This record gives sequence, C-alpha cells and structure tokens, in this order.
Amino acid sequence: MKPRALIMPRDKGAGSLDVVIAVMAFLASLALGAMLIAERAAATWQSGLAGRLTVQVLPPENSAIPLQAQIEAALRVLRGTSGIAHAAIVPEQETLDLVKPWLGSDTMVRELPLPRLLDATVAPGAEVDLPKLRQRLSAAAPDSLLDDHGRWLDRLRGLTRGIIWSAYGVLALIALATAATVSFATRAGLEAHKEIVELLHQMGAHSTFIARAFEWHYFLAALVAGAIGAALAACLYLLGSGLELAGIEAVPFLPPLTLHATELGWLLMVPVAASWIALLTARLSILRVLSRIY
Amino acid sequence: MVRFENVGMRYGEGREVLRDVTFTLDPGSFTFLTGPSGAGKSTLLKLIYLAEAPSGGSISMFGVDLAKTGRPNFPALRRRIGVVFQDFRLFDHLSAFDNVAMPLRIAGRDAVSYRRDVEELLSWVGLADRLTALPATLSGGEQQRIAIARAVVARPDLLLADEPTGNVDPDMGQRLIRLFEELNKLGTTVLIATHDRSLIESARAREMRLVGGRLVALGSPAA
Ligand SMILES: Nc1ncnc2c1ncn2[C@@H]1O[C@H](COP(=O)(O)OP(=O)(O)OP(=O)(O)O)[C@@H](O)[C@H]1O
Ligand SMILES: [Mg+2]
Repeated sequence: MKPRALIMPRDKGAGSLDVVIAVMAFLASLALGAMLIAERAAATWQSGLAGRLTVQVLPPENSAIPLQAQIEAALRVLRGTSGIAHAAIVPEQETLDLVKPWLGSDTMVRELPLPRLLDATVAPGAEVDLPKLRQRLSAAAPDSLLDDHGRWLDRLRGLTRGIIWSAYGVLALIALATAATVSFATRAGLEAHKEIVELLHQMGAHSTFIARAFEWHYFLAALVAGAIGAALAACLYLLGSGLELAGIEAVPFLPPLTLHATELGWLLMVPVAASWIALLTARLSILRVLSRIY
Repeated sequence: MVRFENVGMRYGEGREVLRDVTFTLDPGSFTFLTGPSGAGKSTLLKLIYLAEAPSGGSISMFGVDLAKTGRPNFPALRRRIGVVFQDFRLFDHLSAFDNVAMPLRIAGRDAVSYRRDVEELLSWVGLADRLTALPATLSGGEQQRIAIARAVVARPDLLLADEPTGNVDPDMGQRLIRLFEELNKLGTTVLIATHDRSLIESARAREMRLVGGRLVALGSPAA
C-alpha cells in the first residue's frame, strides 16, 4: 500500500482545459518569438547602416575644379576627419554596375555624367561632427553631397520601434489571456473539489495544508500543458531555420523566421510562467473559498 | 466541554432556527439530542463543530469563548472534535484506510506511525479485510463504520454524530451505540442527534429535546 494517497483526486474531464492552456502557451510562445526576431532584425538593420557615410561627387557644375580633383579632395577631407575609421573611393565600375539594371551598359552610358561615390565608415562608438564635415566638404569639393543615411535610418528606426512595440502589445495581450485561461482552468478544476476542500477544513486542516494538497497538481498540469504549447512553437521556429538552411527564404529582405538557441531558451519562460500562475491562482482560490466559510 | 448561553441562530436573513438555547455538556458525558424533523438538531451540531457561526448568544468550547478566541484558533479546536455526518461525507477517491487516516495526516502524524493505529481501528469495526476498498464499493453500513472510525481515530475529546443510525437496520444501530458507549468509557464526550426512540431507550443517557428551535427538556439518564 502506498504510504500516502493523493488528497486531490485525479481530474477527469479537465483535459480540455489543459488543451486550452497548451494552445494559449503556443500562441504566447509565437508572439514572444516574433518579438525576439523583430528585435534582432532591428539591431541588424541599424548596425548595417548606422556608422556609414556616403559622399557623392557630381560632375562639376558649380566650380571649375575637375571631377577627379574634387574626388581626391573629398577623400582627403574624409580621411582627415576625426571619428572616421575608413574612407575609400568606390571604383567607377561598381558605380556603373549599380546603374546597369536601369540604364544598361552601353558605351553611351559611359558618356553620361554619372556621380562618383566615396564610402566612409565611422569608428564604432565615435561621433562625427556632420555639419562641420559638410562645410569642409563643400569648401574642398563644391560639387559633393554628404549622405549620412540619417533620414533612411530614422524611418527604419521608427518602423522597427513600431514592430517591436506592437509585438510587445500582442505579447502582453496573449500573456494576459493565457494568465486568465490558466487561472480560469484552475478555478474550474477546484470548483469540482469544493466538497473536499470544505471537508478538510471541517476536519481542522489549516489553509496551508489544504492549499498544498491542491496547488501542486495545478502547477504540474499547467507546466506540462505550457511546455507542450511552447515546444510546438519551438518546433515551428526550428522548421523555419530548416528552411533557411535549405536556402529557402520566406520573405526576401525580412529576417528569417528562426530563433537562435538563446532565444529558444526564452520560450521556457512560457510554461514556467503558466505553472506559477496556476499555483498562485489555486492558492488564492482555496484561501478565498476558505475565508468565505466559517 | 461545551457551553451554550442564549444562543440564537438564523441562516442568512431567514427565520430563527434556534432560539435562546442554553445548555452545558460536561466532560465525559453521553447525551442524546432529539426532536421532530426541522427542530434544529443538525443546526445545533453545526454550531458545535464550528461549521456555522451563531447569530446571537455565546458559545464556549473546551473552556474558550469562540467569539473571543477568533477564527485562527478554530482549526486546532476542530481537530479535537470527531464528527459522524448524517451522509458520511467520505472521500470518494480514497480507500477505507486513507479515509480513516486523514485526521492523523491533518494532525501532522507521519504515515509510518499511524499505519498500525488505522489498521487496528478498522479491524475493530469489522473492516480488516476492506482496507483498500473505495467507498463506492462498500455497503451503506460499511461506509457508516468507516465514517465512525474516521471520527474517532484521532481520539477526539468530543464526538458528535448526526443520525448515525439513520440508514441501518436496528441490529446495526444497537452495535454502533455500543461502540459510542465504549468510546465514552474511554473519556470521550458524546452527543448524538437522533429521533430513533429505541436507540434512546436502549442507552442510559441524558436527553436534550429541541422543538421549534427551543430546548424543552433536559432529561436525566432514563430511569
Ligand atoms: N443551510 C440552510 N439554509 C437555510 N435554512 C436551513 C439550512 N439548514 C437548515 N435550515 C432550516 O433550519 C431548520 C432546522 O433545520 P435542521 O437541519 O437543523 O433540522 P433537524 O432538526 O436536523 O431536522 P431533521 O431531523 O430532519 O434532520 C429547518 O427549517 C431548515 O429548513
Ligand atoms: Mg438533521
């Protein structure tokens, strides 16, 4: 004979509530994953563009200084600016390659007055005084234009911030719904055992004794259901990285819909949170039931 | 042991179910609580086993005034009371053994130490071979004996039984009464609510009679 029988009977018919918890955990894991991906994408985009400067030198119009002289002057200015780690002239052929899709590669194109480009990289963490650089550039090369991608970057930042905040919002809503589901399921389960709770109370059991007899069960049930939901979501994301390895890109430009190992680790939070919500709900419900009876 | 002074009781906003009830149960006494159906017997027992609060008057248990001691102390008081409910209220999912062991678990005794006590008590009520049986597989009389074993296993100072012979034949009723008398000899104060006249006449005990929520007679042991 077992030394101790469970005070709480095995639930029959509670299965559907466990399914609901698993589904909510699945959705919460998906939302959490989407948020992690959005955050990573935003970081990648920004580090790709931030810290880069481009100078265009147009075929001379405003001055008599020849194009090549202006290019070299601009390069000297860039290299002499504090905070710039690296500056180079983009070879003419690359510029031609850039316009090839639109203009073709006829000899005629070579006759066109194409601007020449200079690429510069800002040292990580360094600040470049842009207005001053702009001033010096126009003095040295009157037909040059400095582009710090600021406008593009600002819009990109706005976009990613939007994505991240909506992901937070979705995650918060789903977390709320999951918490409500878990606590509803727990209370519904307990309702079926109200008689046992009252009887134990009548026999002189302390609230903590009664709560302990029940809460652990709901903790485990929610942990298992939550783990199943999170595992399904993790499978989906692993499937995404499988596609990526196979060279299939879901949506061009967007980051691949996969999670790194550390990010998958975050999904563990979902079942853990579900189980603690269940445990606390069970305890609070029992204490509330007990406080209502004499 | 139990002392009621001018106790009144009503459920919610309903009419008064008990009115101006005053009595004392002495330690070691054996008392029947009688009266017509609806007189308030079960209600009186509920007040004693701390399932309901009185709406008037004062109750003291084991020498402490309930109104003064407060709810945090009730679990300890409840553990000194064994109750045989009219409908048994067994744990359906627990075996006979685990049902009877529950008061000891609640008291914090460990499984090794109470096992022998529970088995002995179950064989004393004639259920030595039904230790692992679930209540649903037992007859009404067998369930009743489990309920009684559970009520007495922790050696309560006070034993309350509500119509403990309501569902059994007269022979079984007599046997159960003998059981209560044995316990009473060991020092437990016993209070039994019943309207079974033959039961009352077979045991020499004090009788308290409730009619319409009032105590009408405090009889002494039947002469
Ligand atoms: N939970 C309750 N809520 C409201 N009224 C109740 C409740 N329990 C009992 N009553 C009422 O209180 C009165 C006394 O009931 P009680 O159960 O104490 O009588 P009794 O003497 O035990 O009767 P019986 O011999 O039939 O068991 C009855 O009128 C009953 O309707
Ligand atoms: Mg009754």
